[in-house]
Amino acid sequence: MKSAASRHVDAAKPADAMSSQKSTRRRVAASALVWALLLTAPYWLPLTGGYTDLGSRVLVFSLAALGLNLLLGFTGGLSFGHAAYFGLGAYGTGLMLKFVTHSTPLALLAGVALGGLGATLFGPVTVRRRGIYFAMITIAIGQMFYFVAVRWNSLTGGEDGLTGFERTNIHFGHAILNLHNSTIFYYFTLFFFAIGCAVVWSVLRSPLGHTFVAIRENQKRLRFLGVSVGFYLWIAFAISGFIAALAGALYALLNNFTSPEDLNWVLSGDFVIICVLGGMRTFWGPLVGSVIYVVVQDYLSSITVNWMSFIGAIFVLAVLFFPWGLLGFFQRRIQK
Amino acid sequence: MRDQDGFGISRRDLLKAGVAIGVGTFLYPGIGAFAKSDDPVKIGHIDPQTGTYAALGGSQIAGAKLAIDQINAKGGILGRPVQLLVEDSAANVGQSVQKARKLVNRNKVHFLMGAVSSAVALALSQAAHDMNVLYLDIGGHADAVTGSKCHWNTFRTCSTTWLLTAGDFKTIFDKFGKKWYFLTPDYAFGHALHRDYVSQLKQAGGQELGNALAPLGTTDFSSYLIKAKSTNPDVLIVLNAGNDMINTLKQATQFGLNKDMAVGGAMMEMEVLESLPEAARYGYWNMEWYWQQPNVPHVKEFVDAYKKHNADKVPTARSWFGFASAHALALAAEKAKSLNTMKVVKALEGLELPPEVSLQPNKAIYRAGDHQLIGSEYPGQINKSGSYPNLFDVADVVDASKIARSVEAKGCKMTYPS
Repeated sequence: MKSAASRHVDAAKPADAMSSQKSTRRRVAASALVWALLLTAPYWLPLTGGYTDLGSRVLVFSLAALGLNLLLGFTGGLSFGHAAYFGLGAYGTGLMLKFVTHSTPLALLAGVALGGLGATLFGPVTVRRRGIYFAMITIAIGQMFYFVAVRWNSLTGGEDGLTGFERTNIHFGHAILNLHNSTIFYYFTLFFFAIGCAVVWSVLRSPLGHTFVAIRENQKRLRFLGVSVGFYLWIAFAISGFIAALAGALYALLNNFTSPEDLNWVLSGDFVIICVLGGMRTFWGPLVGSVIYVVVQDYLSSITVNWMSFIGAIFVLAVLFFPWGLLGFFQRRIQK
Repeated sequence: MRDQDGFGISRRDLLKAGVAIGVGTFLYPGIGAFAKSDDPVKIGHIDPQTGTYAALGGSQIAGAKLAIDQINAKGGILGRPVQLLVEDSAANVGQSVQKARKLVNRNKVHFLMGAVSSAVALALSQAAHDMNVLYLDIGGHADAVTGSKCHWNTFRTCSTTWLLTAGDFKTIFDKFGKKWYFLTPDYAFGHALHRDYVSQLKQAGGQELGNALAPLGTTDFSSYLIKAKSTNPDVLIVLNAGNDMINTLKQATQFGLNKDMAVGGAMMEMEVLESLPEAARYGYWNMEWYWQQPNVPHVKEFVDAYKKHNADKVPTARSWFGFASAHALALAAEKAKSLNTMKVVKALEGLELPPEVSLQPNKAIYRAGDHQLIGSEYPGQINKSGSYPNLFDVADVVDASKIARSVEAKGCKMTYPS
């Protein structure tokens, strides 16, 4: 049944070998440029008025959006509750560092496991419905975690947020990775961002990924072909939950702090906005969206308290004029 | 359709995206900031300008601005002009932490100050500790900031929750009775106030009939008020702040609660009083500073100067927090002759505010042991028939050093970096 799905996609690919070769080369060049920019960010960011922590923030948000985009852009499931898994990742990491261990990698692992398993557990509940109902259920589940975090004062610190933990250095024998240094933490984040990218990229390349796309394109037909759509949606939901949790875990380490806001549906909405702004059918869309969102927020919120209106305006304009997101727009222009 | 496997991106896309990013970063203010010299002394001020505490934050900012103007008029700090960089926290903890990191990492501020919400104050205290920056909490009251969670680099201008409750506990208890019901906002500040009142209540032989926890930013308090009424207490203690307090008192009036029981609490603010309709103005409260102190020198000049800059509004306790805090930072830096965090911290320890800054009959000193400013409390009663700005009758000015708990009792163990 997988092959059926992939054949469906293959048929839609441009048959022209020349052009496909050209586009492959383009793609490689583009990816190389993205990675080069990301790898050198700590060196050119200060020159443009940014700062390293801002770079780490962009990475964290794009990683979360990348995870969400696997579900939203490639499988066609509009989740408004991904902040829940992001926040669970953050709380898992923070609680682990605060109460159990001083090992950053272990805490990170705990956070990813907590958030990812949360998504895996609640996935089957959500995938039974599509469209607006799917979105509603994901919001409801997300808000459930939010209120648990707000009310469970003794463990989570309630509305005050979780304080009293900090990322610790990693020891490799004699070598020490000094995570307190912003630049080193940026590369630490970039490393996990790369892992997230690699996971999403290989999933999309695999028959599994083709099935996801097929679900987005024509769910009914897949059902007739005997594909268990709910099952694949669940897998997409779980993978994207794990990646969002990884982003959340990194976010907790970045701020040495986490609060119920990290679980709130408002943040889920931000992730969706990031995907849509950047282009939710493109691989690098979430990164572009995240750059726009985080930088605009950082810059405008110093100037005006009404910065959200500007984000809103940008979003409305983007949806009106770039319904495929910025990257999607350019990609389509080139193909014409 | 290309996008079906379209996780690729062409070179031209990328070039265009690069241009977009380039333009974006060009609009970014950093380049301009780079060209300017690093000369001014920068104070990062994080306070809510939106949300439930916007009015309170606004007063703190106005007070700080007035102080900065005065400092600059006198030649700045160490001969350098002072710049106040204000950021909106929206009383949102996550956003505040992010802003603190931005102010320190991008703007390279020398000091951080601000906070209305205790939760924000605690989070900022920790973030500043991570970054080795002096943080002056000017309006977040929870004991822990200068108590169990005290840090070597954190100071506080406003009272502790203990001082707020101890300011008027005895009067309310003696006057109205010993069966109390609490309405508490569900976060650090509310919990701390409640705990402090209850421990005094138990010691005095009183009884807590119940405690309703309402989330920050609640607009409908009716269910909590009905619960309070059903227990029939002598006193209803309202521990909310900002708009939450306004909503509570308005609704308590509609339910006629103020006819059946005494209403009071630990903290009343001018901003709240201003917004209350006359029918909802009642109760016995504690203020931390009041503009009407005819026998205290310099108060009148401060009030006049503030009114001139702020559309004839009188300064509130919050304005004074901002004012005194900015001055305290300048005084400490002058005393230390340095902007080095540790040196300024040492200078601020034990610093007594001069009369033109302290603006109160008692001494105001940043206690060295826990970095808490010990000044005065102003318990009193709402002036029911008064019109703005005569809305409060101060019954007594309490010297905080007489009611403050010791550093040990507060649980602060200060450790300095080696």
